[in-house]
Amino acid sequence: MPNGSLGVYLCSNECNALMSRVKLTEYRAKSLILGEGYRGVSLRACDAVQFPSGAKLVLKVDQGVKKRMKQGLVAVGIEATEIPVFIDEWSSRGYSNFIVEELFPHEEKEEQYLSLERVRDGYRLLHAAEGGIDIEEHPEKVTKLVASGEGVATAFAEATGLPETFLQDLLDCFATKHFAFVEINPLVVRGTEVYLLDAAVLVDSAGQFSVKDAWSESDIPEKNAAHAAEATVAALQKTTPASLKLTVLNPDASLFFLLSGGGGSIVIADEAALRGAGNEIGNYGEYSGGPTREETYLYAKEVIALLLASKATKKALVIAGGVANFTDVGKTFAGIIDALSEEVSRLQTAGVKVFVRRGGPNEKAGLAHMRSYLEEHGLLGSVYGSDTVITQAVDDAVDFIQG
Amino acid sequence: MTLLDSIRAGERGILVSGIHLQVIQSILDFDYLSGKERSILGIVAGGRKSVKLFWGPEEFLMPCFASFADVPEQFRAQVRFLLNVQSGRRAYESTVAFFEAFPEAYGAHIFAENVPEASATMLIEQYGKTKVIAGPSGVGFVVPGLLKLGAIGGVDATQLWTNKLMTSGSVAVVSTSGGMTGELINAVAGADKRLSFAFCIGGDRFPVTALSEVLKLAQEDPSTKGIAYFGELGGVDEYEIVELIKSGTLTKPVAAYIAGIIDESFEEHVQFGHAKALVATNDESARAKREALRACGVDAPDTFPEFLEALKKLPGADHKDVPVDIAPLLSRRSSILSTREIIDLKSIPVFVAEGKLVTPETGFMSAVTGALLGRPLTSPISQAFFEAVATLLIDHGGNVSGAVNSMITARAGKDLVSSLVSGLLTIGPRFGGAINEAAGLWLTGAQGGLSASEFVTLETSGGRVILGIGHKKYRVGMPDPRVAALSEFATLLDSHPHYDFARSVEAVTIGKNGSLILNVDGVTAALALDILSECEGYTRSELTALKDAEFFNALFILPRSAGFMAHILEQKRNDEGLFRLPDNLLYTRPAGEE
Repeated sequence: MPNGSLGVYLCSNECNALMSRVKLTEYRAKSLILGEGYRGVSLRACDAVQFPSGAKLVLKVDQGVKKRMKQGLVAVGIEATEIPVFIDEWSSRGYSNFIVEELFPHEEKEEQYLSLERVRDGYRLLHAAEGGIDIEEHPEKVTKLVASGEGVATAFAEATGLPETFLQDLLDCFATKHFAFVEINPLVVRGTEVYLLDAAVLVDSAGQFSVKDAWSESDIPEKNAAHAAEATVAALQKTTPASLKLTVLNPDASLFFLLSGGGGSIVIADEAALRGAGNEIGNYGEYSGGPTREETYLYAKEVIALLLASKATKKALVIAGGVANFTDVGKTFAGIIDALSEEVSRLQTAGVKVFVRRGGPNEKAGLAHMRSYLEEHGLLGSVYGSDTVITQAVDDAVDFIQG
Repeated sequence: MTLLDSIRAGERGILVSGIHLQVIQSILDFDYLSGKERSILGIVAGGRKSVKLFWGPEEFLMPCFASFADVPEQFRAQVRFLLNVQSGRRAYESTVAFFEAFPEAYGAHIFAENVPEASATMLIEQYGKTKVIAGPSGVGFVVPGLLKLGAIGGVDATQLWTNKLMTSGSVAVVSTSGGMTGELINAVAGADKRLSFAFCIGGDRFPVTALSEVLKLAQEDPSTKGIAYFGELGGVDEYEIVELIKSGTLTKPVAAYIAGIIDESFEEHVQFGHAKALVATNDESARAKREALRACGVDAPDTFPEFLEALKKLPGADHKDVPVDIAPLLSRRSSILSTREIIDLKSIPVFVAEGKLVTPETGFMSAVTGALLGRPLTSPISQAFFEAVATLLIDHGGNVSGAVNSMITARAGKDLVSSLVSGLLTIGPRFGGAINEAAGLWLTGAQGGLSASEFVTLETSGGRVILGIGHKKYRVGMPDPRVAALSEFATLLDSHPHYDFARSVEAVTIGKNGSLILNVDGVTAALALDILSECEGYTRSELTALKDAEFFNALFILPRSAGFMAHILEQKRNDEGLFRLPDNLLYTRPAGEE
């Protein structure tokens, strides 16, 4: 690439717990697509960056942030000497990863839109010859094509007029680098040369084991955890094959959730929202996939701490989930009781009630243990098993906080 | 014939790839409580020979095979399904290996989460049209009383019973989420209905068998009268239901719950637990999908309790549960594997009767060999052979290394057991431990494929020696009398492929060196294989298992223990005193060193 691609990557070692489709940094995305052609240099923030004097540069925050331009996270046409100024300012806003490229002078009418996505029946291409448009607002200007098997690149080249070799390179990235989605906007083509002014790539985290060093967790920007508890659970998640997720919604809410199961947790959270208690939900999350007693304890501890920190006057803890297929109710409940025991006097003082609904292996023993613990310590709201509807505990909890 | 018809006709053989004991046991319990034969034929797992599981209250050993190619002939014809519990990174290749080995098989369940999208789309391309594959991810599928392929419906016996999985009914449960499949199955039983089948599609982005295919199964299934469906935000599968209904392909009543209204409480769309559970475009929201379903007549309420009411309204058929006693399944305890029982007190032989000695029917070594094999020797030929082998192997003089060690230890004042053990610990590849290795060689050789000379070339590459061939003292023209005596057993057999192969190897090796004759280890191994095969009915794989367990070395260790003890007792009787090497043997250096 003669121009516009001298990228400099200012990286940090923060990384993200991998799951499903995750976004790569722009630097890594372009490096993978353009390969040898991308003459970027990867540097640490503290390293000196050498550019030809007088070169006009583009500096951007590179952390998977959407709408960077609107947020003022892109500096266009700056001199190398100005880089520290912008980085200092963005660093004070909590950003740590940046990309620098030489400015690529072009006209707006040259800009095109291109995206490719892996779909059930092959690959889906979206292309607009007219750049800078919102493709959702102008579907009539978008070429849409799904193709599979041999000759995908040829079909896409014919449909778009884009160089076939470039499209083939992109498709190779899907085949060997586990790309799931790529969006290049804008894209400029001059003859056989292709210029990626901006590129976003989602990779399939499940393929990480087979990409060698093409990309790794360090190429996936970490979202700044909004809350310390989220960061703690994210760190815990990295150490276990079980699934542990936590998002803090409203720190001063009345309802706190210890939910289990990917689907069941949504049903229970739905019920609270449908009962008009959406703004009373303190957190969303789930534990599933057979966590151990110790892992469940560490997870529950975070949720209980959130609940205790809430300034709401009436507070409830909902421990609920579907009828598990193989997660042992007895073991996971023992972990939750461990966490409750640590804070039992503060929970009592705050007048917290605990509402439970759960089914699955070892259900009877697990529920009996939980019921007797809650009863003994004056925390009992209600305890239900698989013979009661999954939403009963959250319904009771909503009645309690609204009552 | 549809898949469900075939299953109801009794085609239900399962092979498992990988080991997930909880799930495998739950399938066996399901079969047992349903009053059926075991559906699981075996487990393909490297490094294991068998896995201990329960059939009802009793333990048994489920066989394991190294690969799909090693599944024995007697099972192959019954294989219909794969339960794949391998990790995400192995799921693809193991599924392909299964269908290559069993192209006629009907389907599979892939349990792993984290199967790469690229693998899933390849599976769809290869098998999407021809096989029924639940997953990747999720809990599989179940046809009541007949087939449980996965964790679906629970893993403990209490769950199987309360979910009424042994009784066939008329409601089909279809769900993306594994946990909610369990919830819906539980709800169907709670509504006093029974399942026609339940199918968990899995929460991954690219399930191999898509929702529309499962719904077509339900539509074509005469037992299914209504469908209960659980879906989530993310993806556009629910629009397939809309299409099927609009095109008249799906006419049976559907009750549906689409979870994910909670997403509207977040500022940005959130990635929920399942890979697909993320709203990318507006039509993927729970609200949009729910409304689209309602518009074409699906009962898709806002709340889950309302959904349960809708589920109760689905048509039901009469059913009768056959009462089963799950109590014996709840109090099971694993044991340590041992098929060796203490001597049977009822069958102690009569040694002396009416003051006269009763000539024993079989000798000590026959009884011992039967114990080692785990079943008695039945043929007089094999009894005589093992008797002969043992007799010949008791001792070979005091100058062989094991006997030397025994004697030295005894002379150092150690007790009988210590002295014996020091001799036994000498047994290995160069002394006495060759019978088993030789058995392995003859097993391989007699299988064919290589001529004796090719075999010798291969086995001796890199300077290796062929165990069972060669002797320090005896050579061509001066045969080992023990080998000559044992070889006579071959004349009693109809065929002796292992012995023949060993002799053909000898014919090659003596061409190189006259001392490379078939030795006593080699001939013992060869004839033991031929005799067990012909006289005791051992199959090739059983013989391989004996070799892997080192049975053939026991034929040396046992009589030679007697030999060692004879030397030890002799040393003690004569009080030989502490042994040390003569001084003139010590302190020599390799040539060239100072």
